[in-house]
Amino acid sequence: MSDTTFEKLRAQFPDAVLDVSEFRGDTTATITRETFLDVARFLRDEPDLQYDLLVDLTSIDRRDLGIEPRFVTVYELYSIPKNHSARLKVPLPWDNSTEMPQCPSVAAIWPTGNWHEREVYDLMGIGFTGHPWLHRILMPENWVGHPLRKDYPLGGEPVYFSSDRDNPRFAHLGKPIMEGPSYPSKLPDDVDSETHLVINVGPQHPATHGVLRLAVELDGERIVSVNPDIGYLHSGFEKTGENKRYEKFIPYTDRMDYLAAMNNNLAYVLTVEKLLEVEIPPRAQYIRVILAELQRIASHLFWIATHAHDVSGTIHSLLMYALRERERILDIFEMFCGARLTTSGMSVGGLRQDIPGAFPDAVRSFVSEFWKRLQDYEAMLTRNPIWLSRLKGVGILRAEDAVALGVTGPMLRAGGVPFDLRKAQPYSSYDHFDFDIPTATEADSYARYQVRMREMEQSLRIVEQAVNRLPEGPFCTDDRKVAPPPRSEIDLSMESLIHHFKLYTEGYKPPVGEVYGMAENPKGILGFFLVSDGTAIPYRLHVRGPSFVNLQATDLMARGHLLSDLITIIGTIDVVLGDVDR
Amino acid sequence: MDAIVSWLTSLFPHMAAPIARLIVHLVYAAILSFVAPVVVVVAFTYMERKVIARIQDRVGPNRAGPLGLLQGFADAVKMLTKEDITPVGADRIVYNLAPGLAVVGTILVYAVLPVAPGVIGADLNIGILYVVAVGGFGMLAAVMAGWSSNNKYALLSAFRVVAQLIAYEIPMVIAIIMVVLAAGSMQMGQIIDAQNVPFLFTLPVAFFIFFVATIAEIGRSPFDLLEAESEIVAGFHVEYSGFKFALFFIGEYMHLFVGAGLGTTLFLGGWRGPGASEATILGVLLGFVYFLVKTVFLIFLMMWVRGTFPRIRIDHLLDFGWKFLVPVGLLALVAVALVLKLPFLSSSVLKWVGMLVANIVVVVVSLTAVSFAARRSRSVALRGVAGTER
Repeated sequence: MSDTTFEKLRAQFPDAVLDVSEFRGDTTATITRETFLDVARFLRDEPDLQYDLLVDLTSIDRRDLGIEPRFVTVYELYSIPKNHSARLKVPLPWDNSTEMPQCPSVAAIWPTGNWHEREVYDLMGIGFTGHPWLHRILMPENWVGHPLRKDYPLGGEPVYFSSDRDNPRFAHLGKPIMEGPSYPSKLPDDVDSETHLVINVGPQHPATHGVLRLAVELDGERIVSVNPDIGYLHSGFEKTGENKRYEKFIPYTDRMDYLAAMNNNLAYVLTVEKLLEVEIPPRAQYIRVILAELQRIASHLFWIATHAHDVSGTIHSLLMYALRERERILDIFEMFCGARLTTSGMSVGGLRQDIPGAFPDAVRSFVSEFWKRLQDYEAMLTRNPIWLSRLKGVGILRAEDAVALGVTGPMLRAGGVPFDLRKAQPYSSYDHFDFDIPTATEADSYARYQVRMREMEQSLRIVEQAVNRLPEGPFCTDDRKVAPPPRSEIDLSMESLIHHFKLYTEGYKPPVGEVYGMAENPKGILGFFLVSDGTAIPYRLHVRGPSFVNLQATDLMARGHLLSDLITIIGTIDVVLGDVDR
Repeated sequence: MDAIVSWLTSLFPHMAAPIARLIVHLVYAAILSFVAPVVVVVAFTYMERKVIARIQDRVGPNRAGPLGLLQGFADAVKMLTKEDITPVGADRIVYNLAPGLAVVGTILVYAVLPVAPGVIGADLNIGILYVVAVGGFGMLAAVMAGWSSNNKYALLSAFRVVAQLIAYEIPMVIAIIMVVLAAGSMQMGQIIDAQNVPFLFTLPVAFFIFFVATIAEIGRSPFDLLEAESEIVAGFHVEYSGFKFALFFIGEYMHLFVGAGLGTTLFLGGWRGPGASEATILGVLLGFVYFLVKTVFLIFLMMWVRGTFPRIRIDHLLDFGWKFLVPVGLLALVAVALVLKLPFLSSSVLKWVGMLVANIVVVVVSLTAVSFAARRSRSVALRGVAGTER
């Protein structure tokens, strides 16, 4: 598919394309910086190509690879109508005369680039010319350095694991390490705090689902603008991932969107498997689908619980009802892997262990009961006049705006775009199952509510089919270079013992190359960008958190509404701050 | 109260009747202002937590004391030991006055609440007017607290309080006027005497308006906009801590009790029930029990609503108040007034039937009008009320 893209591109811009390479089905074109904006606009507007969705925008510091120029920006494009994807790389020559390498901003072509570019600026130190408001986004405004650069020192702050009050080494503990005044994070220039009331919703606020700060500009109770300030939960997962072996990053994925750990695991292992090119046995694929869909239901349950809670106040009963059902899903996870929230249930090559015997029955009993529960929730909310009046017409996000802002998942589908990766690019044998993509047309909060409720039903259908047609067979690949041999084999076979030893001391070494893996998470597309330099540790690991991208739409959705509607809108975005800040 | 006075004079033959009356009144006043707040708050917070817990499939408080009964006292001790904070830039006088006013405002209403046959602080001949007059104190306290806290959330809450107070005081008064018309008096005792058939059955529209307006005036879900924790954190009392916060809390629960008690008095026949009479101590106690049962039932209804309804938005709240409750109330008021003046409805039974018919007609007419308006308007709230939304 992408071959035609680059043929057209070469025909249109003969000098722009420096190189086209293909690896594991991903085609990458290297474009010169000077022609990049024209190329981007061409790719978006050309009727045969229609790359309307900028899935991800990131960058690589190639210092340790020894490639010049050192910095390169990477654009992962996807076309929803044509269902094809392409990757662009723009090398940024830098002669050290400017403070940082400069790249043209795509925020005018794909508005979603705005936050992505701020993230790249913040973490990698690449300037974007023409960006509307280039400020740090994840790190504090006064931070020194750019953490994802390869020359950024690791372990700058000493961490002591025991405290001995008499030891002079610990004398500085418990004392402030930064000077007293706090640094107020900047607001965009068009915020008028003289005539309007500017209030901080968050970072400590009952309705922000975590440490999200929204500087809201109010005219009375009417919203003039919303300025999200994120990064309070930034934990540098990408930097961590670039210093760990591939397999060791799985537990970190649990902690990104901590309400959808299984889906995160799945997206990550799929990406690594794409890099390694391993074949996953059907049983493992089916179990992965069951787990991922149960997790989707659990995530949506948590969404409906907190959404109802936000719209109604702490007392609303749906909070407890939905969490009660979610508890049963967590029990099933516990049965499978011993953990409930941060499961790390999947491993590269399959699963960590096979499902226990009682697992299918537990899933079946949950499914049969949950159909009825879902009707109870609908009875409480779907036709409730107050619920309708709070959600209908609130936070409208039209399909074209959603696509431009890179919004995916239920929020996009509520605008009438039937885009779901499980159908568009089926992974993990999703094409074996019969399910629909619920959509709505109104694009308001109520439409999103209905889409998510229908999605739970569809997930139930998938789980039902998968558990009833669960194939027999191994639960992980028999490629001993990737997955460890079973315990019983180690005692009998020297070869197995060696494999086991090598796997746990050195890990696997994927070939040199770069892949982009995506999966449909409950909140949207979760993407992983992996660059391998041939060692057991990823050279570059980038995460596209769906909540991070979706949150960007808050301002557009909230303008002109009342303060109460902002709470509805935050709830309807279904934001998880672990996913936003990573 | 006369029964208690005569019982006291029979116990102490040398005591003059006026002195006995004074003693009884003083004791009652002390009970109202010192014992009642504590009992009401402890009992109804416990009840609220248990009821909401059962609705939500939980157990509720069960650690402090048997069945968690001491939870309220544990909370009280905790409140009293908290640090008292006054924010920088607060208007100190107003800030410190507001919590007291929240409690005093509701205690004042207790004075005219007939809790048992003859047991009433002062059976004023303008009793219900007095209730309306002092009933707004609680809201005034919220405005004062919201304004003086020097906090943006509290200020937003104060805005909302003002809007909400006016929008719901008026329908409430309209509902009360219907009762006054039907009873022919503003005196609490006579309103109760007039209810051979409780006004709930003859004036259902008035009861509905009164119930909704009471919930709104107490500021409980779904009308708890002034302390909507998911929007404006805790609203007007966000800066209060310790005992001052406790006073707001006490004020709210006492207001809850007063609101339900008024509803009982005006619409459920107050303390009336088989065997309740002013003549004997037993009759008085029985009347008290009836009053409590009816009041607790109304409070339970409010808790039920709280557990299952989303919060209404401020503009919808005002729409609902001004564009639905007030017109419907006025319509019902006119209908009831006409029915009461119809010459051929001479007997009281006929009048009751006439009022009920008038009320039903008002319901039908107003719902038809609303659904007609809703079809032409794009207002979701209106359509919600009319039930024409899918």
